[in-house]
Amino acid sequence: MQENKSFGAKALEFIRNNIVPILFIIICAFCIPLSGFTPSYLLNEIVTRMGRNIFLILCLLIPIMAGMGLNFAMTLGAMAGEIALIFVSDWQIWGIPGVVLAMILQIPFSILLGLLCGSILNRAKGREMITSYIISFFMNGLYQLVVLFMMGSIIPIKHFSVKLPRGYGIRNTVSLLNMRQCLDNLLAVNIKGVKIPVLTFLIIGVLCLFIIWFRKTKLGQDMRAVGQDMEVARAAGINVEHTRLISIVISTVMAGFGMIIYLQNMGNIATYSSHSQIGMFCIAALLVGGASVDKASIGNVFLGVILFHTMFIVAPRAGAAITGDSMIGEYFRVFCSYGVITIALVMYETKKRRSQNRTAQELARAAAEETAKEAAK
Amino acid sequence: MKNVKRLVMRVAFVAVLLAIGALMLVIGRGHTVYFDNKTMEYGGKSCETPYKIVVYVKGEQVAKLYNGERGMTTHIGQNFGMALGITQEKGGEEKIVEITQKLPYNIDGVIINLPGYLAGLPEEAYLSEFVAAVVEEEAPEEPIEGDELMPDDGF
Amino acid sequence: MLEKKDNNFNSPSKLNDELKSTITPAAAPSKLQMREMGPLRAMAASFGLPRLIIASFLLLMFIVAPFVGNDFWTQISNVINRFSWNAILVLAMVPMIHSGCGLNFGLPLGIISGLLGATLSIELGFTGPGSFLAAIAIATPIAIVLGGGYGWLLNRIKGGEMMIATYVGFSSVSFMCMMWLLLPYHSPTMVWGFAGKGLRTTISLEGFYSEVLANFLAIRVGENFKIPTGTLLFIALMAFLMWAFLHTKTGTAMTAVGSNPTFAKAAGVNVDRMRLLSVVISTWLGALGILVYEQGFGFIQLYNAPFYMALPTVSAILIGGASVNKASIANVVIGTFLFQGMVTMTPTVMNSVIHMDMSEVIRVIVSQGMILYALTRKTEGGGR
Repeated sequence: MQENKSFGAKALEFIRNNIVPILFIIICAFCIPLSGFTPSYLLNEIVTRMGRNIFLILCLLIPIMAGMGLNFAMTLGAMAGEIALIFVSDWQIWGIPGVVLAMILQIPFSILLGLLCGSILNRAKGREMITSYIISFFMNGLYQLVVLFMMGSIIPIKHFSVKLPRGYGIRNTVSLLNMRQCLDNLLAVNIKGVKIPVLTFLIIGVLCLFIIWFRKTKLGQDMRAVGQDMEVARAAGINVEHTRLISIVISTVMAGFGMIIYLQNMGNIATYSSHSQIGMFCIAALLVGGASVDKASIGNVFLGVILFHTMFIVAPRAGAAITGDSMIGEYFRVFCSYGVITIALVMYETKKRRSQNRTAQELARAAAEETAKEAAK
Repeated sequence: MKNVKRLVMRVAFVAVLLAIGALMLVIGRGHTVYFDNKTMEYGGKSCETPYKIVVYVKGEQVAKLYNGERGMTTHIGQNFGMALGITQEKGGEEKIVEITQKLPYNIDGVIINLPGYLAGLPEEAYLSEFVAAVVEEEAPEEPIEGDELMPDDGF
Repeated sequence: MLEKKDNNFNSPSKLNDELKSTITPAAAPSKLQMREMGPLRAMAASFGLPRLIIASFLLLMFIVAPFVGNDFWTQISNVINRFSWNAILVLAMVPMIHSGCGLNFGLPLGIISGLLGATLSIELGFTGPGSFLAAIAIATPIAIVLGGGYGWLLNRIKGGEMMIATYVGFSSVSFMCMMWLLLPYHSPTMVWGFAGKGLRTTISLEGFYSEVLANFLAIRVGENFKIPTGTLLFIALMAFLMWAFLHTKTGTAMTAVGSNPTFAKAAGVNVDRMRLLSVVISTWLGALGILVYEQGFGFIQLYNAPFYMALPTVSAILIGGASVNKASIANVVIGTFLFQGMVTMTPTVMNSVIHMDMSEVIRVIVSQGMILYALTRKTEGGGR
């Protein structure tokens, strides 16, 4: 508030606003030497993980813009992507054509799921996050119903490498060997042993430009208005429900693309578990990058991916080095992911409450002044 | 008017996507191609196997086949081009033969019997479908590498 | 929020009467109304449509079961047993719903306290029924401390409880995953044999408190039918205590905080303290609930197991007819019975009927769908 804050106070505020990234930088700085990985290995891993995760994380930005918080239901898009990939591998379409076909194929699925999710969230205003979180579990049940029981029996699936031997249902893992890293390897550049998937990064770059452009469009402005205050936006003639719906649909479709990029890098689909963890990881990474529930930028995404995945790579080895048990490190990184989300949520809620209180106080003061004026008259 | 224009734009967009999808469906079909250097009989005629056949695809050697051996490669699309380096006798001269072969769309694994092909037999003679030996023991499928350890769902 | 301050509640005693008269009927309408409406219509009214569907589904299961070769009495016995394991955990939802903290997705925190109590009790050398009492005694202070911290946190973030509760639960479970490995446990029944340290993922309670409650006055008929009378009595006792508590002055005030915080504040109730108290009770009941669960199940499950316990519990109470801000003892009993009935019956019956084990999928869809349904409903008599 004051203009001439001391340096100490400024530093303190900076730390308070960026506590999560700072904490993670400390953890990483502590764990990297302990893990004993060579820098080139580490760099290689991080670049790979950036390529495969950033697209997915970017899809979280638009619902945040529309004031709907962290979209835990981005897993719906991931499911759509997986279903598309299952079809594509059933038809034995390989390589880049396979990836492109899957991307086109997932669009109708994810639009449908996004519409469903968005309309449910419109009925649960004020608790979008917990609702989207439950939606992701609920849809996981439906996904299992479709993939495990309907595919092969009602929905035609023929290929033996995809279908379970019992005649219906999809195998636990569907191999994508024939399109493994085909996006990453096209135009890949190798710098001192670090493989840089240029094409994947180009696609990510295009998406970033899209998001920057989208913010300036009429729809993007509307979304931000809705995110600021739904009632004000409604009074200004914005169709609030429609805008929120669109934001979720865009997010879901993008998550579908992101999942396909992710899976072509991994080289196989864990049919029943790939998507369930995706939401958690992406949200944790975004928050590690210093985003909050109501504010997130592209910069947060990049910083978050680097910090979060560095921690993820080094924690097991560092844990083993400290305690002699690699499981400790495994549990530690899971704890970090959850802990970060918890801290970020708590900080967001306390901040929201504080600002609400401040507004209430200001209103009260204004009212008091008003009455005082009345009395003076 | 504006709405009509928008509708047209949208329909065109969807049509383009569909067209790309259809194109991908055609050009993206993957096949596994097997080459046999085995004697075969067709119509009472048998073809001799050369001493050695080297198979090049796009300038890279994918298989070197002596008598009775089988090699394989993967290929995306239906137009399969390869070059064969044929050595008739041990120590003999290598002769390069360029071949393009249409692969049937609905067959995953295509076996080409090279001696049969070289002898100029009809397609149904030298081309056959590869059927994997049934080893359906459903080995415990390995969990994928990477980021596990999170609860799968709420249960 | 502010304009309501100047209403004319002045004397504290009158206040409490006012509180009681205005809040009690709103909070627990089902009991009063049930008596007036007659049993059938009351059932339908308090059940609501989704519950009715699930109840008929369960009934259908019971009817079908004998025809497809499942022994009816075994099924009944299974359902009752599963009910007895889970009822206290579901009961733990009630205080927080009453005080307006929403569904307790942070139940794992209470479970952790219970697990600490259980493992410490064994580590300290208690055996037999004594180990159960010791486990409760040890778990209680832990639950109070953890619950206190948790309640303090929830008081700072009013409005965002459910999401944060979920993640408090997850963080605490993953933190304890590390602790189970690191804490200096030595009891040979619990640690990994070859390493001599680090707790096992499942610990048998044979010789400790396996089925201590269940075997008390247990009714056995033949091989397959057993009613765990002791556990049911214990559940009845806890349910009665909860009911009695909700009718004390403190309990009424707690309900008031949940149904109308502004009003409660105006009436001189310390909102934050009531919420804190409800969270502590919830956490403690969670600890107690997991101990009861373990004694029925016969094993302690550590590490990732508590992750999977909050959501089924939440959906159980919702199936029983509770909403995000309203719950009664009847909701707990009905909900646990329906949910556990569904969970127990579907796999066996489904398998016999269509030879497809779809039960897992059905369970996920029904229980998550139930939570979704509750979350998307307009909250009745909510904050303002």
